[in-house]
Amino acid sequence: MGNILKKLFGTLLEKPWESERAAIDNVHEGKTFNISAQKSAVIIIFGIATVLFSLVFTSYLYTLPPGQDTKYLLRPNLLWINTLTLFFVSYFFNKVTNDLKKKETSKIKKNFLIIGGLSYLFLLGQIFFWVQLLKSGNYVSTNSYFANFYVFTALHGLHLLGGLFFWGKVSSRVLKLEQNKILEEEKNISALSLYWTYLLIVWLMFFLMIYIFNDAFIAWCQSLLP
Amino acid sequence: MSDEYENKTGYQAQSSESITSSSIGSGVATDIDYVRPAENAEQDLYHGHSFITKWIFCQDAKVIGVQYFLLATFTGVIGLVLSWLMRLQLGFPGAAGFMTAEHYYQFVTMHGMIMVVYFLTALFLGGFGNYLIPLMVGARDMVFPYLNMVSFWSFFVAVAVLLASFFVPGGPTGSGWTLYPPQAILEGTPGSGMGIILMCVSLILFVAGFTMGGLNYLITILQARTRGMTLMRMPLTVWGIFTATVLAMLAFPALLVGSLMMMLDKLLATSFFMPTILKAGEILEYGGGSPILFQHLFWFFGHPEVYIVALPAFGIVSDLISVHSRKNIFGYRMMVWAIVGIGALSFFVWAHHMYVSGMNPWFGFFFATTTLIIAVPTAMKVYNWILTLWRGNIRLNVVMLWCLGFIVTFVNGGITGIFLGNVSVDVPLSDTYFVVAHFHMVMGIAPLMVIMGAVYHWFPLVAGRFLNETLGKWHFWLTFLGAYSIYFPMHYLGFIGVPRRYFEMYDSPYMTSAVGMNEFISTAAFIVGAAQFILIFNIIKTLKTGKPAGHNPWQANSLEWLTPSVPPEHGNWGEKLPVVHRWPYDFSVPGSREDFITQTTPPSDVKDSKVEKT
Repeated sequence: MGNILKKLFGTLLEKPWESERAAIDNVHEGKTFNISAQKSAVIIIFGIATVLFSLVFTSYLYTLPPGQDTKYLLRPNLLWINTLTLFFVSYFFNKVTNDLKKKETSKIKKNFLIIGGLSYLFLLGQIFFWVQLLKSGNYVSTNSYFANFYVFTALHGLHLLGGLFFWGKVSSRVLKLEQNKILEEEKNISALSLYWTYLLIVWLMFFLMIYIFNDAFIAWCQSLLP
Repeated sequence: MSDEYENKTGYQAQSSESITSSSIGSGVATDIDYVRPAENAEQDLYHGHSFITKWIFCQDAKVIGVQYFLLATFTGVIGLVLSWLMRLQLGFPGAAGFMTAEHYYQFVTMHGMIMVVYFLTALFLGGFGNYLIPLMVGARDMVFPYLNMVSFWSFFVAVAVLLASFFVPGGPTGSGWTLYPPQAILEGTPGSGMGIILMCVSLILFVAGFTMGGLNYLITILQARTRGMTLMRMPLTVWGIFTATVLAMLAFPALLVGSLMMMLDKLLATSFFMPTILKAGEILEYGGGSPILFQHLFWFFGHPEVYIVALPAFGIVSDLISVHSRKNIFGYRMMVWAIVGIGALSFFVWAHHMYVSGMNPWFGFFFATTTLIIAVPTAMKVYNWILTLWRGNIRLNVVMLWCLGFIVTFVNGGITGIFLGNVSVDVPLSDTYFVVAHFHMVMGIAPLMVIMGAVYHWFPLVAGRFLNETLGKWHFWLTFLGAYSIYFPMHYLGFIGVPRRYFEMYDSPYMTSAVGMNEFISTAAFIVGAAQFILIFNIIKTLKTGKPAGHNPWQANSLEWLTPSVPPEHGNWGEKLPVVHRWPYDFSVPGSREDFITQTTPPSDVKDSKVEKT
């Protein structure tokens, strides 16, 4: 972060019209950051998605009225298993990126497929949990707690689906490649890995929010006060 | 990926500020034209072969830019016709026999949304952004051309969905362009059924499409510039588009969230924005939501939106003024700082649109302060434009006329903005024609003047021919004088208390005193609207019989004029990418043979020239 700020403010102080500066600028390569275009795209998407999820979160806090029934979500439920699945996805991504760094390509295809499979499993788990919620009579219109839950999980799921679209494109190429040529896809795979890590963090924040920002928890906190 | 931009050698790129003279090596000491050898692989472009892949589902940013421009102009013309119909009703009530109060509100809504989002935003960022970014930074194309194409077609579908709302039962939404709930989705408001749903769907599609385009603009500017093109050597046009894109990427999610939640309120009976409502003695199914929340979300998008339109206009007009007054832009660094500063501040002023919403009065104090602070970098820019013109070798052509018109109009609209930024002045003027006059001057007419200037300036690049100057002058003077005839009297109407968004003027002393003025304003509006067709005629005439422009007809310095062919072909630069040796503002440099030194001119060609310190 410090480097980025230094770079930003340092850049804004340049005087491009001076001949001394020109000698330095003339050898500039043209890139601002030494990362691939794919990784740049993922980082920018982080920014946009963070604003999006923060706004949903803020909206939730803004409209959180007292006395909402939150019992169903607070019981042990499928969301814990889905969260675990998402952890496994990141674990396998970590294995793949480590293998790429070490240039060991023997297990990459298998692990890359597992990543996709587990991600779809997570999405199926989320849909199944929605069905359970609906069957228990907790609809999107029941109260703002559930309305935000549905909206957040839907947006998170859509982001994951978007990631899976690009995973599909990359994996179709990876599967066709010979072992020794898989390294050519390193940039795409590491960009995807970064994206999945971000989605895990977003999910964990939201998961935490379910348990912290609800009436039961607030009432419990109040009970601690003298 | 076919659109991959890769660095196969693993070269560690250095930012310009981190390159020291010692790290440059001996090349500089012995050869003043030294250029680092190309270290990035060439971009692999997709070349369309059929008519469909070349001109319709095209991946060339220039074609996509023109597509954006044409579609945005088409929706803009629809917005113009709607404004004519509104002015017909206001100036000559009953003259348009079919128009009911419901129609009037629908036209107000669609006019506002079309002009702000689908015309100005799409035209500046989608149109000028796509056409100019790769050319001005010396790239062959956008970094992700396929995504760029998808971006345009998402915009196309968004426009189609928006216009489809004219043909559904109940018609388009008539809730005002701000779409405030709860009235936007409740019965009694025109278009509260399918109209509002289609509006929300269209906005969501627009945001999704724009995100794909914006991603391209940012990465192309940051990561795909040509050698020697540091950030501080970029033309201000690119800085303006870049910063506006950053704002859009951060502000549009608020519009998306607002639209999505309102659609759910309408379709699934959620209550994100809906409080408990008693209607005809009956409690509606809603409850617990906050209409003010929607206003916060909307204006968190809505105010940066003003700068999403204004910043590209600021950048473009800076370049036009510099080229046509043959002077370097005064205070280039300050101009960049001001663009970045305005962009950052624009996220802290949104609630000045909500002084009368019932929010906490302390918010008003805070937002009035930030609003007045934003006037500082904005005023800096105005001074710098004037100081660029000062003692310049001004070419008083059509492009310059539009630029001068912009400066005057922007100052006008900006000053009334300072009025409205103060809570105590805003409260009595709120919802009057003073507000209508203010925002039309500052973000309607002023950016439009830049668009027109830019069209006359870059048309020779796009089509290879000059637009007709005489027709251009007619176009300018009719628009300029006409626009002032419309909006100056509106300030007065606001002062006497005439409210906006009224279908007809009811019988009261100040309303009846406004009748004559309304007739005058409406007549001026018809003339200004019609004057815009002079440009369309000029374009058609020029394409057939216009004077050929040749290479770099304005003697400009920036890269877009330095392509091997005019108009530039797909890939822009022929065999070799250009190499940049200087900033784009070396005009009238003492000791130089000509009054311009292009960005690609090597130092050895202009040894005797001495740049002025600014």
